[in-house]
Amino acid sequence: MNIKRCLTLTRAGIIESLQFRLGALVVVAGNLLYLVVIYHLWQAIFASVGTETVNGMTFTDTLIYLVLATALFNFMEMYVVWEMGHAIQTGEITIQLLKPMKYRSYMFWSYSGTAVTQFFFTFLPTFIIVAIVTNGAIPLGLNLLFFVISVMLAISINYSIDFLTGTICLYTESTWGINIMKQVIVLLMSGATIPLAFFPEPLKTIVNYLPFQSIYNAPLSVLLDGNPEPAKLLTTLGIQLFWCVVMNIASRLFWKLSLKRITVNGG
Amino acid sequence: MSNIIEIKNITKEFKVLNRREGLKGSLKDLFSRDYKIVRAVDNISMNIEQGEIVGYLGPNGAGKSTTIKMMTGILEPTSGEILVNDYVPYKNRTRNAQNIGVVFGQRTQLWWALPLVESFKILKDIYGVSDKDYNDMIELYQSLVDIEPLLHKPVRQMSLGQRTLSDILAAFLHNPKIVFLDEPTIGLDVSMKSKIRTLIHALNKEKNTTVILTTHDMGDVDALCRRIVIIDKGKMLYDNDIEHLKGFFGYYRTLKIRVGGDLKQTAEKIRAQLPEFSVSADDEWISILVDEAKSKVMDVLSQLQKSYKIRDMQLEEISTEEVIKKIYEEGVK
Repeated sequence: MNIKRCLTLTRAGIIESLQFRLGALVVVAGNLLYLVVIYHLWQAIFASVGTETVNGMTFTDTLIYLVLATALFNFMEMYVVWEMGHAIQTGEITIQLLKPMKYRSYMFWSYSGTAVTQFFFTFLPTFIIVAIVTNGAIPLGLNLLFFVISVMLAISINYSIDFLTGTICLYTESTWGINIMKQVIVLLMSGATIPLAFFPEPLKTIVNYLPFQSIYNAPLSVLLDGNPEPAKLLTTLGIQLFWCVVMNIASRLFWKLSLKRITVNGG
Repeated sequence: MSNIIEIKNITKEFKVLNRREGLKGSLKDLFSRDYKIVRAVDNISMNIEQGEIVGYLGPNGAGKSTTIKMMTGILEPTSGEILVNDYVPYKNRTRNAQNIGVVFGQRTQLWWALPLVESFKILKDIYGVSDKDYNDMIELYQSLVDIEPLLHKPVRQMSLGQRTLSDILAAFLHNPKIVFLDEPTIGLDVSMKSKIRTLIHALNKEKNTTVILTTHDMGDVDALCRRIVIIDKGKMLYDNDIEHLKGFFGYYRTLKIRVGGDLKQTAEKIRAQLPEFSVSADDEWISILVDEAKSKVMDVLSQLQKSYKIRDMQLEEISTEEVIKKIYEEGVK
């Protein structure tokens, strides 16, 4: 019963996102441009250092990592903050609150459709192309299964952070700045723009204690490690699970408190 | 008949920041803790029965939307009790949502990019409507309005009228006990308005759905509501049948006569003759607002006929619109 509700929203999201063909093309074009830029940027970085490996990563390693991070970003980013901010400003949130579902899950499932579409149209093709072009640099084994688990946890953490940030919009009534700030923090701290291996030691330690690295760094390191030590793999997934639970609880609590504010003082 | 909505002495207050003027004032406002309390709804009570259509009226900013938001559970009353379908709405918002449908003026709950039928299917699953109920409902819709051409049209391509119609159908789809319609006919042309009124009326009849309607269009009220509730500045002004409304300020009718000669002068004379009524004159007619509690229109007419040669006459009933306007402007004595 409940599952049916959720899946119908996913289905709607898929159909909806397929309506905007031009938008999808623009995203692909933008990504290609971005990839060209990071290709040349990192080539320059490696050339200036002059050694084959920097911080334990070769140029190819770095590039594979960053290309996959971009693809992962396209598929996991849900733009929930935008949507919530918009709904709050226009008052549309009142209609969404009157659905016989919890708002948090209503939003999640409404967006899941886009994620599914993005998975098949951006992530999967990118992954296949990278796998073929690099000719075996991505190990194809049991790590794929762990990768799927890791991505699911990452999606949940990412959504919780988004939802938490979106809830802040209830107080500020402005979206743009908050969203940009969130995006920069998440992308940098998660290792989506620069692999964590390149971070200076103290920063690396700090980042390891934050939830963000569980979003991009964790799934990518699971994917790119063909023969992980079981202990290391379990630690990675365990930390993800920990953050998944913590962020879920935090975002739910914060929402509950904030909702009280809406019902007491109006939208 | 049982009450589906019970409201007892509800009051809703908002805390509003006192804004100051100018750049300096705006800067000060950043740190200001200078709040004032605004009472949007002030001690309102009413009971609404299953199957009623209630017109909920009031000037802009009277507190209508706030009351409706409290009934739907989006707002929590500052004090007082409210029961909708035996639930306290703000405590059971999600459960309450299952039993209500809403159409909020210009907003839509439909999926913008999808054909209408897809939106219906999504709503069907969200509200857990069975296949049979869903098909019956679509069949009913088809018998009431011609929805076939709308079903396969994406919502973003619809005209405002078509979209409003679709939104109303969507609100009734899960056969809720109560439907809240907030200005459903705003911005629509005459034929669409009448189509929507017929539809609301038919759905109310067919499903015995309680309908709470806010509007500024007295045509909606005359066509649909037997009972109206009027509020202003958060206070209840009137809650009764629409027939009683007309007698609310006495039974007024306007008698218009045309006589020879200078109308303005004649009007002066009539005014002296009938001091208890208000008399006015324009280029064609002399209008006398007759309070039927004091004397009958026919008596006034025959009295006037003795002194003047009346060439033509008209009798106008006071419209709901005029009564309401009077209530908004003068309040209740």
